[in-house]
Amino acid sequence: MNDGKVKTGRYVAALVVAVAVVAAITAACGGDDDDSGGSGGGNNDRPLVIARDMDINSMDPSRAYCDTCQIYLTATYDTLIGLDPKDNKTFVARVAEKWEGNADRTQYTFRLNKKAKFADGTPLEAKDVKWSFERLANVKGSAAYFMDGITSIETPDAQTVIVKLAASDSSFLAKVNASYAGIINSKVATANGASNAKDADTTDKAEPWFLKNSAGSGPYTLASYTEGAEIRLARNESYWGDKPALKEVIIKQVKDAVTQRQQVETGDADIAMQIDPDTAKKIKNKNVTIKEVPSFNFVYIALSPGAKDNKVDLNPKIREAVRAAVDYDGIIQVTLGGGGKKQAAPIPNGFLGTKNLALPKRDTAKAKQLLKDGGQPNGFEIDAIYPNVNVYGVDFNTMMQKIQADLGEVGIKLKLQPVEFTVWVEKIRGDGIPMTAVYFAPDHTDPIQYVQYFGMVPGAPWASRAGSKDKPIVNQAEVDLSAKALAASSDEEREKLYESIGKEMIADAIILPIVNPNLVLAYRSDLEGMHYSACCNLEVQRLKRK
Amino acid sequence: MGTYVLRRVLMMPVLLLGLVTVAFIVSRTVPADPLSTVVSERQLNNPEVVRAAEKRWGLDKPLTTQYVLYVRNLLRGDMGTSFRTKQNVREDLAARLPVTLELTLASMAIAVSVGLFLGIIAAVRRNSWVDHLARLFALIGSSLPVFWTGLFLLYIFYARLGWFPGPGRLDPRAVGPEKVTGMYTVDALIAGDFATFGDALQHLALPSFVLGWAVMGIISRLVRASLLEVLNQDYVRTARAKGLTERTVIVSHALRNALIPTLTIIGISFAVLITGAVLTESIFSWPGIGSYAVESSRALDFPAIMGVSILGGVIFLVTNLVTDMTYALVDPRIRLS
Repeated sequence: MNDGKVKTGRYVAALVVAVAVVAAITAACGGDDDDSGGSGGGNNDRPLVIARDMDINSMDPSRAYCDTCQIYLTATYDTLIGLDPKDNKTFVARVAEKWEGNADRTQYTFRLNKKAKFADGTPLEAKDVKWSFERLANVKGSAAYFMDGITSIETPDAQTVIVKLAASDSSFLAKVNASYAGIINSKVATANGASNAKDADTTDKAEPWFLKNSAGSGPYTLASYTEGAEIRLARNESYWGDKPALKEVIIKQVKDAVTQRQQVETGDADIAMQIDPDTAKKIKNKNVTIKEVPSFNFVYIALSPGAKDNKVDLNPKIREAVRAAVDYDGIIQVTLGGGGKKQAAPIPNGFLGTKNLALPKRDTAKAKQLLKDGGQPNGFEIDAIYPNVNVYGVDFNTMMQKIQADLGEVGIKLKLQPVEFTVWVEKIRGDGIPMTAVYFAPDHTDPIQYVQYFGMVPGAPWASRAGSKDKPIVNQAEVDLSAKALAASSDEEREKLYESIGKEMIADAIILPIVNPNLVLAYRSDLEGMHYSACCNLEVQRLKRK
Repeated sequence: MGTYVLRRVLMMPVLLLGLVTVAFIVSRTVPADPLSTVVSERQLNNPEVVRAAEKRWGLDKPLTTQYVLYVRNLLRGDMGTSFRTKQNVREDLAARLPVTLELTLASMAIAVSVGLFLGIIAAVRRNSWVDHLARLFALIGSSLPVFWTGLFLLYIFYARLGWFPGPGRLDPRAVGPEKVTGMYTVDALIAGDFATFGDALQHLALPSFVLGWAVMGIISRLVRASLLEVLNQDYVRTARAKGLTERTVIVSHALRNALIPTLTIIGISFAVLITGAVLTESIFSWPGIGSYAVESSRALDFPAIMGVSILGGVIFLVTNLVTDMTYALVDPRIRLS
């Protein structure tokens, strides 16, 4: 080393300076966090932050269809009737102060509250309800089916709406209670390209406008939406109903449960709703309240005897054998750390008609006997193609590996094939899948949606998937019972009918519910009014700081 | 050099058309159903809803017609509407590119400055503890997966110590500065809002370090190897014999020649980070191009996939051109022709 060489000490000194700069930045950062870790000081002007992995497909109320959409739409668009969060069953007045259905449930009359007005001050009138329902039907979005069967919507005066249906539909009130049936300011929306015409699916051009604006009468308005980042809601200061306490609500995009947990612990977020029960158990922060509540979501496996690639005779006894071979308690433990419940039928626990249904339980001896009776004494091999997802805290790979092990004990070999959701859709819409695993969250609070989706009734997707597109499997008892349920006017009668339908769906053994996961509500302890709503996920207008 | 640059620029549209064609064919031949992005799974059996969706998104037309329409609209500057975000793809990219650029520029600044520094001291102090330490630091940075580094650093410095802010570009309750460039640090400075500038800078620190660390490992190792090779050359010995200081010998004589391969890596890394910082963007909730690309691919969002492909292609072509031009600036012996 000669004298001209740069000394090591000089490099070290430079490194120290660099570290010092970084340290200065970090020191500056440190100052803010402690404040947010506090209680929030009972200040409702402090924005409420909800950390979510957002699944927004649209901000247009007639086209939106997702969990986050339910929160957003409920905050910005009032519906005709609301749902009491105390029991998640009783309808309460919202825009409509009175409502009634006729005896056979083919006509519903709504009397609107005269005080109801949109955020811009325009009175909310019957014509807006008619326009909103017609647009929901005619843009043919994913929630358009809510309006199926409507033959006419009459508006004899500004406060009266009469909806007439082609057939009995006792679920109609549940549908108009759903957030997708929110009432839009027809004048404002029309001025921005919206249409309720029959050809609205091609002529309506308002969807981009709804990305930046809301046009409802709800307790909040859309302040801004940044795709992939956040939704900001500002309190509707001229709200016609009970004014919400919180001035601003921000729904933030936070992808994973671990980060959501960190944010709610540090106070950066006030609410995290997608934390799985396992992660929730690790939260020991006194500023965070953890509540595990029953959800109406469920995860199931499905068998399709008619799938083109199916090489096994999946007769009822074989399907029953699969049900008997699954270790439900073990799966709930492995996937959710015990944070879930077994479910009897493809109608979730808590819905009308489910409380007396027998829950599935593992019985390998019975499974082996059923395999023998069904003509497969040595078991069989079957493809299990499922979307590679983690939903409601259930990792599908973990669940399917456990099911593979369970079924393996009775001689049924599963060939597991996890695929992307778009690939799964291509397959299920194409030749079908012999065995799959999927999930389901309710659109509204009436059990008929499960019959119309999972039941072996004409038009139900799983009736076609279980059989074939040309020859769906049909269970006539389900067809008859569901027609009666739709025409029934009392809850007692409907409960009995749905219980009978549930038993029929269990006997079908096409849809085998695996777990009904609990929902973890993790929120700052200074928050009041936190709840889970069956219709709307979360009604932010009910929240306030202590 | 002017002719060379002009020729390269004129070639770009041809290359991009090739890219568009390949991307179009590949995305359309994937055995998956894009309808699941625009129609809920439970409505896919409803022929009326499916027909309306196919018509609205142009999926009812033959592939060749779809291709011709796409190229025709593209020539008019219309990249179509994203199935997923329901926004014009050009607007989506314009909103997300500055986010990624801000992150990438900060990462590259860290990677290049620290990488060069470590590479130089490691070469100059070859086989000393400084060399070993610098190489170890570089090795760890380039070996650890960014998702692990990101989650680990967030856990330690955000959740546990509270030294750094959490995910996002600003405090969750803060409002961003008025948009000029889309880069919060720059826009805050333009607005003279130093509080927001500080907030944005703090939020930039962890994700840019995570990304920068991964790249700095490669740069420092390359600089060290190149410099060691150059330091044994005759002209370096001559420079020393002339009595120049070691600093002058290294900075003015050796480093300039050793930088050529490093420039290539810097150029490629920059282009890769623009479209490939997926995990970092996801972990730190940065709504950038990388996460947009992945979400669009998973949803089989054709217009968005095409948009990202074109943007990525342009970035690679421009970066390569700039890198080639920089060669000539760094080494006068190189003449572009």
